[in-house]
Amino acid sequence: MDVRAQVSMVFHLDKCIGCHTCSVACKNIWTDRKGAEYMWWNNVETKPGTGYPTLWEDQEKYKGGWERQNGDLRLKLQNRAGGLANLFHNPHLPTIDDYYEPWTYRYGDLFTAPEGDDQPTARPISMIDGEPVDIEAGPNWDDDLSGSPIYAKNDPNFESITDEERRQLFELERLVFFYLPRICNHCVNPGCVAACPAGAIYKRGEDGIVLTSQEKCRAWRMCISGCPYKKVYFNWATGKSEKCILCYPRLETGQAPACFHSCVGRIRYLGVLLYDAERIEAAAKVTDAQLVEAQRAMILDPFDADVRAGARANGIPDAMLDAAQKSPVYRFVKTYQLALPLHAEFRTLPMLFYVPPLLPVVGARENGAYRVAADFFSSLESARVPIRYMAKLFAAGNEAEVIAVYRRLIAVRAYKRAEAVGDIAPEAISEALAEAGITPDEAEAIYHLTSMATFDERFVIPPLAREVNIEATLDPFTHKPHAGFGFNQSLDRE
Amino acid sequence: MGRRDLPSLADAVDAADVILHLAPETNGEVAYRAFKAEEAKVGLPLADLAERTRGTRYTYSDLLQQPRRLLTSPCWSGIVNDGRAYAAYCLNTERLVPWRTLTGRQHFYLDHEGYIAFGEHLPTFKPKPDPYAIGEFVKSRADGDSIMLNYLTPHGKWNIHSTYYDNHRMLTLSRGLHPLWMNDADAEQIGVKDNDWVEVYNDHGVVVTRANVSARVPRGIGILYHATERTISVPRSPLRGNRRAGGHNSVTRTRLKPVLMVGGYGQFTYAFNYWGPTGVNRDTYVLVRRLDKPDW
Ligand code: SF4
Ligand code: SF4
Repeated sequence: MDVRAQVSMVFHLDKCIGCHTCSVACKNIWTDRKGAEYMWWNNVETKPGTGYPTLWEDQEKYKGGWERQNGDLRLKLQNRAGGLANLFHNPHLPTIDDYYEPWTYRYGDLFTAPEGDDQPTARPISMIDGEPVDIEAGPNWDDDLSGSPIYAKNDPNFESITDEERRQLFELERLVFFYLPRICNHCVNPGCVAACPAGAIYKRGEDGIVLTSQEKCRAWRMCISGCPYKKVYFNWATGKSEKCILCYPRLETGQAPACFHSCVGRIRYLGVLLYDAERIEAAAKVTDAQLVEAQRAMILDPFDADVRAGARANGIPDAMLDAAQKSPVYRFVKTYQLALPLHAEFRTLPMLFYVPPLLPVVGARENGAYRVAADFFSSLESARVPIRYMAKLFAAGNEAEVIAVYRRLIAVRAYKRAEAVGDIAPEAISEALAEAGITPDEAEAIYHLTSMATFDERFVIPPLAREVNIEATLDPFTHKPHAGFGFNQSLDRE
Repeated sequence: MGRRDLPSLADAVDAADVILHLAPETNGEVAYRAFKAEEAKVGLPLADLAERTRGTRYTYSDLLQQPRRLLTSPCWSGIVNDGRAYAAYCLNTERLVPWRTLTGRQHFYLDHEGYIAFGEHLPTFKPKPDPYAIGEFVKSRADGDSIMLNYLTPHGKWNIHSTYYDNHRMLTLSRGLHPLWMNDADAEQIGVKDNDWVEVYNDHGVVVTRANVSARVPRGIGILYHATERTISVPRSPLRGNRRAGGHNSVTRTRLKPVLMVGGYGQFTYAFNYWGPTGVNRDTYVLVRRLDKPDW
């Protein structure tokens, strides 16, 4: 056992209202800079949809993440014939058209237009060359099923869905969507790190945050392809790759990352997970159907004496272990098994987990009124969104995993409904709980964690003790003002 | 004494401080006295709501430092003590302050002769008016290239009127302008694809924008969120001799609803921002047609 600690995350999708407060908080703090205009380290997508950059989930197009080959794990990117030949030319990089050409407006025209009969207008112009642009794409272009015949219909996760099912999905009465907020998953088996020829991307030992060294980056851009989530971006002004840093300067001072802190729907949870690094390779190599379970098995019980001893032996401070015991992420992922990794089949072992949304799946329209389907037990079979689609997103296609989560979510809902409304027979509740494998106490705890958890319950931030973790050769006072994004030293080129 | 004690309005900060000093929401003593006065009217104890915050005084410089919570005041109907979020009518339901109606109770039936004459003395379904009867299409006629839509201008997803939307961030997170949402089958009928430019018009005005084509919108409906400024990305309209096209309100007009003008009777009593005719200027009918290329 090789115990490691990681600051990990859960997003509860039934609670996301798609307000993009998270994206704006992140943008304002980190990427409101030259060269970073098009970057959204945090973005929120509408599902079904093609997302940002468009079709990012389609690894036939982008060659991100890992694949199994003869029992081995290889980066998809480097698996092509002539890997070396492509070293200087990487054909799978997203282009600016796959993201969008950032634009602004010629606001000045509103003030300087010559006098005339007509009111002036501020035309959109490119932020790259300043010329007028036709806006054809944006970082949230398919918001709320905008342009659904083009975007929602071509969601890559529909590949296994029949034409008839697809047609039905787009009938007004069945039409449904939900939001998928995305940041870097701070993976345990990160494709970005493995792809970098310069060794510029690293996973911090003490908290698992994946960072790009702005000093070591040599603009190979392999990380951008290597990351199947397209969460590394290339800054055209500095010539360096950049990515979500999980607001480590905030974490180091005990504050939640800005996107977490500002989240209006309170969908976000942050806490420590302990995992067994010896199992990483095996967990990343199992068959698709086993991926979720293998990753869950890799996560260790912070209450277990052996695990704690192993953690101490690895120099994990007690404060970290205490935080691991209080971690809401541990409870969502391991205790209640409600949260699943996004696209586990990319095999990067992402450490951001999602509670899949229940409402779009079991909600039904009856006589024009929207309600959660009355028959809790058969509703999954007649789900509005085929379970296959959800399984494609959250369980590498393993429908049983998603169904198990939904059974639990439905049981909790029925349990609380019986309490509040009293229109479900006690036997039906016991049956639902038994089928879901949870006790009434657990249902209550899940309800609390989902709906009532306070700020401090949602974000259990361990003291990151950066002063003991930074290189001993660095004077802490020299280091102190440098917490933040960018270069620690000025770029002096001799 | 005398004149010396009059508040100064010499500069803007003084004026703000005077307002803050006189308002029960920002001066605890004023709130306390207002509730005392309300007690006398209502005959129930109410001043306890302001007892503990009697000493609170907010000045302009307090507000500069950080946002502050308003105090509970009888001018409003919510109770916001101890961090409670504002919800209307708490004073009425929890503290039994009579409703501000003729009877002091909630009214479902309105026994005013104006309402009776309009058949609205009870909540009533009224069908959509006939587009031709309301005079939007005397000059503008539908042809093969256009489709008539019921035009709705609800609040947007992110904005309250122009606030929070007409900025670089939110325009980037949407489509860079204020599009017309329309149904995919309707769009197909007039040869419009997602993000194509469209001209939206009736006799009253014209909007030029892009179509946001989505299965989410029911057939026969066009949605343009209100109420954004007409400053960003507004091309010219060929239909109007290449003059600058209008905003979301250019195709709608104000029609005063007569029942909202009755007054002098119980709760139907005009007060600024409290009771008066609303402009029924949100919905109408429009024709939509494709526009090849916008002219700026
Ligand atoms: S999500 Fe992408 S960028 Fe983040 S750690 Fe995983 S592979 Fe790297
Ligand atoms: S701030 Fe929270 S609720 Fe709003 S879009 Fe982001 S994740 Fe969803």
